[in-house]
Amino acid sequence: VTVPPAFAQAEARGGAQATHRTPETMRVFVIDDDEVMLLSCRRILEKAGYQVETFGNGHNGLRRLEEVRPQLLLVDLKMPEIDGFQVIDHVRRLDPAIVIAVLTGYATIANAIEAMKAGAYDFLPKPFTPDELRLLVNRGCERWQLAAESARLRREKEEAERRFITFVTHQLKSPVVAVKQYLDVLLFGVKGDLSPQAVEWLSRSQARLGEMLDMIEDWLMLSRVERGALSEPGANTDLGEITSHMVESAGSQADSTGVTVRTVLAPGVRINGDAVSVGVLVSNLVTNAIKYNRPNGSVDVNVSSAGGMGVLEVRDTGIGIPEEALPGLFHEFHRIRSDATRDIPGTGLGLAICKKIVGELGGTIDVSSRVGEGTSFVVRFQLAPHDEATRPATSPGETA
Amino acid sequence: MNDPKSVLIIDDDPDFVRAIRHLFEFAGYQVSEASNGREGLAQAKTLRPDLILLDVMMQERTEGFFTLERIREVPALQSTPVIVISSIYSDHPVFRVNPEAGWLPADLFLPKPVDPERLMAESARLTAPDYAGRVLVDEGSASR
Repeated sequence: VTVPPAFAQAEARGGAQATHRTPETMRVFVIDDDEVMLLSCRRILEKAGYQVETFGNGHNGLRRLEEVRPQLLLVDLKMPEIDGFQVIDHVRRLDPAIVIAVLTGYATIANAIEAMKAGAYDFLPKPFTPDELRLLVNRGCERWQLAAESARLRREKEEAERRFITFVTHQLKSPVVAVKQYLDVLLFGVKGDLSPQAVEWLSRSQARLGEMLDMIEDWLMLSRVERGALSEPGANTDLGEITSHMVESAGSQADSTGVTVRTVLAPGVRINGDAVSVGVLVSNLVTNAIKYNRPNGSVDVNVSSAGGMGVLEVRDTGIGIPEEALPGLFHEFHRIRSDATRDIPGTGLGLAICKKIVGELGGTIDVSSRVGEGTSFVVRFQLAPHDEATRPATSPGETA
Repeated sequence: MNDPKSVLIIDDDPDFVRAIRHLFEFAGYQVSEASNGREGLAQAKTLRPDLILLDVMMQERTEGFFTLERIREVPALQSTPVIVISSIYSDHPVFRVNPEAGWLPADLFLPKPVDPERLMAESARLTAPDYAGRVLVDEGSASR
């Protein structure tokens, strides 16, 4: 058996070992209502070493596809009952990895182009020579191999990222957690035995370790959002309800700083986005507005729908953001260094997380600010389609 | 004087156990400890503690989860309050685990490191004579 050039090349590159296949392991289906065409295709391709199965109509071909998947499918466009377009459509939905090539008469080149648009990879005008067929099939199989290889690499990369994140969570977090736990217990229980300076230094250590844990949490959150592992595609959420929930959760933080949080939440504003992503976003904006406020300041949180969008506005009476700092505001690890922020701990990841979530949900986030007067964030979300409005979304607290 | 309450801490981090043990001893609990699920289950069976603290992410990733399942299979331990503690739980409001969600038969979830004040308050609540037991929502079981 002669090795087709495409495979010889893959061999020479030395890569692709895991998915490298010889023609013997490549299965080709041919669907055509012309018996003579089927016979000659079978003869040519079997001689080249491929496993070939032929079908005289679309029904038989599709039925066999339920049992076994080929790497390559050659299909005639003009057939009675189920035509080539229907076959292509079905196969694309069944298994997008199957490479499809179209066999077509000269008269239907326009159709062949339509077929390419529908998801076929290549086409061969009839009549064709054995060499032309072999070339088409070799190319199709090489295409399949490249796709399989890149899918494998993508899976490996995702797996490595997941493992790395697990590693960070456990190996990096565990010692910090253990040390902070000692300090928490020490400062809760036996403070009286310690000198005031020891208590002060231990309290600082406790706070700094807390910052480090927040940093690890935020970093994990950011990587979850980046991997698309946070949001649940297709879900929708009541923006007012989730906002109310997050404002309530921030209550103790607001109380301890004397900041008043006022809400005006329009009912029934259902937006595209799952409760977890939207909850993280709202929570970050609300806690920021409290954190970067002045003592006894206020935060206004409004939910409405305007211009066909769901709108969340979080406005504070805080320290404000200098104009020159606005462009980098949503970048990772961007923190504004000033006298006003020096004593406010933060990871510099909160707004980067917000921006990524907003992007994931297909919305926009805008900021306007005046130093010394306050900052306002406006997030616009896509409204959920009306017919989906009854679909329940995950409610907060149910997700681990 | 009442018998002191007893608590069993099942966790593979010796430093965490030491710190938490101190808290409970300070509050007058009798403390025992186990550093893995198997040992924890054996101790729970013989000691029948008033409260169990369990880390769900020990050496073996699923060890804690299975330990809790095994604990609940023991008739005498079915209503023993269990606080699940782990650093995989974030205290972020959207990630707070609701024990009533029913996927783990625990009475309470707390993120690690635990806030000592909260831990001691919750421990007192869960071991009080009037604690009604965890809410059972799985498989339509009647709540107690």
